[in-house]
Amino acid sequence: MNSSPSTILPKAVSVPARVSPRRHLAQAAPWLAAAAVVGYALVVGGYPATVVGFALIYAIFVSGLNIFMGLTAQVSFGQSAFAAIGGYGSAILTTQYDWTWAPAMLAGLAAAVAAAFVIGYPTLRLKGHYLSMATLAIGLIAHEIAVQWESVTLGYLGISGVPPIDIAGFELSSDRATLTMLTVCVLATAFAVARIRRSRLGRAFAGLAGSEDAARALGIDVARYKLLSFLLAAGFASFSGSLFVHVVGYVSPEVFSLHMVILSFTMLYVGGIGTVVGPVIGALVVSVLPETFRALRDYQDLAYGAALILLLIFAPRGLAGLFAALDTRRKP
Amino acid sequence: MDFTLIGQSLVSGLGIGCVYGLIGIGFCVIYNASGIVNFAQGAFVMLGGMITHALFVRVELPYGLAILLAVLIVALIGVVLERVVVRPLWTRNAPMFVMILATLAAQIVIERLTYLAADDQPKTLPVFTDVPPIMLRGIAVNIQSLWIITGSLAIVALLALFFKTTRTGKAMRACAINREAAALQGIPVHSMLALAFALSAGLGAVAGIMLTPTQYTAYDVGVPFAISGFIAAIIGGFGRPFGAFLGGLMLGVVQATAILYFGAGLKTVIALSILLLFLFVRPSGLLGAAK
Repeated sequence: MNSSPSTILPKAVSVPARVSPRRHLAQAAPWLAAAAVVGYALVVGGYPATVVGFALIYAIFVSGLNIFMGLTAQVSFGQSAFAAIGGYGSAILTTQYDWTWAPAMLAGLAAAVAAAFVIGYPTLRLKGHYLSMATLAIGLIAHEIAVQWESVTLGYLGISGVPPIDIAGFELSSDRATLTMLTVCVLATAFAVARIRRSRLGRAFAGLAGSEDAARALGIDVARYKLLSFLLAAGFASFSGSLFVHVVGYVSPEVFSLHMVILSFTMLYVGGIGTVVGPVIGALVVSVLPETFRALRDYQDLAYGAALILLLIFAPRGLAGLFAALDTRRKP
Repeated sequence: MDFTLIGQSLVSGLGIGCVYGLIGIGFCVIYNASGIVNFAQGAFVMLGGMITHALFVRVELPYGLAILLAVLIVALIGVVLERVVVRPLWTRNAPMFVMILATLAAQIVIERLTYLAADDQPKTLPVFTDVPPIMLRGIAVNIQSLWIITGSLAIVALLALFFKTTRTGKAMRACAINREAAALQGIPVHSMLALAFALSAGLGAVAGIMLTPTQYTAYDVGVPFAISGFIAAIIGGFGRPFGAFLGGLMLGVVQATAILYFGAGLKTVIALSILLLFLFVRPSGLLGAAK
């Protein structure tokens, strides 16, 4: 019952054909909005730069989630596990074994993708609420291991003193340098997602998002492409986890809790599931908005949850869907 | 390994297993009425304990009355959840995943509201009857565990009676078998969904209230209970209420025994590993999934 296109969206996300020039503006608008927010933070620096920096790290995580859920129409509540592997990999290798950041990040990435392979192979055969609960369990197990395996992760205490990323001897420790680096990372991620979406691989994903049976009939190896999509999502999750620990300099189990999962889904739905720009917009909006209402800090989780419910009911295609709707309305 | 130690953990395992079983039944009741898996199930367990505590300690109602009122209030909250979150999505034909995500978000919202209304301190309730534990061949049997076990068995028996003999119970079973056909027979399928949420919320509340004297409750205890209840439902074959109860007992006993060997810290990991094992090897459960 759940291999149908309706698992994620009532209508499967189609890969758009060539766009007419009229649509270019509508397509550029969300990117320009994102650029304005990041540009403002770059100029002002300080606290706004920190907030936007976090948003950009989340944008990478959510982009990975979007490959698996938006493009391939599968479900995972456990992507936080792979962010945790990347994050803890980077933190442990750089602080305890004096590795430099790049090989540590790659090692974390390799470990996350390997874990995703081992986990994904049996898990992705499941469907519907079985798949949902299995992936949720994986996320919670990762969190629990981070708490309990104290000899390596230091439990709730967390690992502090993770060095910032340095490029050619230049340490990216200032707000602006970090933000610039993160912007480059997000652009690279978005570019990669856009390329994947238009490639043979992306068409295979869209095919099995539309109908697994139809995709199989067309000769698409459904199990293989599902796994591939899962591995890609895990890779981006691990990348964002590594970036997080280097930017913050600290990691603890709370970072990768259920809160992270709900937050990332809110971002995905705010921005618009299945689009390239959606995760970026969603991450920026969801991170920046609560900061403008400082008094509401205690109510943040409440607001995320309530906003997510309202979005799911009234606007399941998110802000990106809104831009698209405006665009089609303008057409004759 | 000491025999009394194993016996001891068996008793506590059966007690907590009953609670898992009741939560698992809650999953099945909603699933059967609608095909929805309500991931906010744990919120009812948490609310049961928290509201009883508020009524008993803050409002200073008599214990029995506080418990009764708390169960009714939680059942009402279940109906509200159905009206506000589930119904709008249901009428819009939302995909199953969206429903799961929405109920999970509802879980977070209820958690935070409870946190704001109360605080983040763990709370506990007095035991139902203040009697020293009974000693059985060196095994101390906690009286509250007996309350949980007999209370749960009574509830399961009442439920069986409800589903077998009453008109409403039969109507709910008809919905589980075939919703369209049930609607054609004039059964109000929509009110059955609201009723299923009330029933399932009430069950969760009772489970939470009975368990709180032996442990504690706090605004964030819900999710682990929901997962344990879900595991119970999976072991019993999803959609079989009484299978879920047996599944809960099994999970409770296995978990209690595993704690003996691996320590209490890995409690959640053990439960989740059992879940994954079942999902990978036998997702239809021991009795086979309903339908």
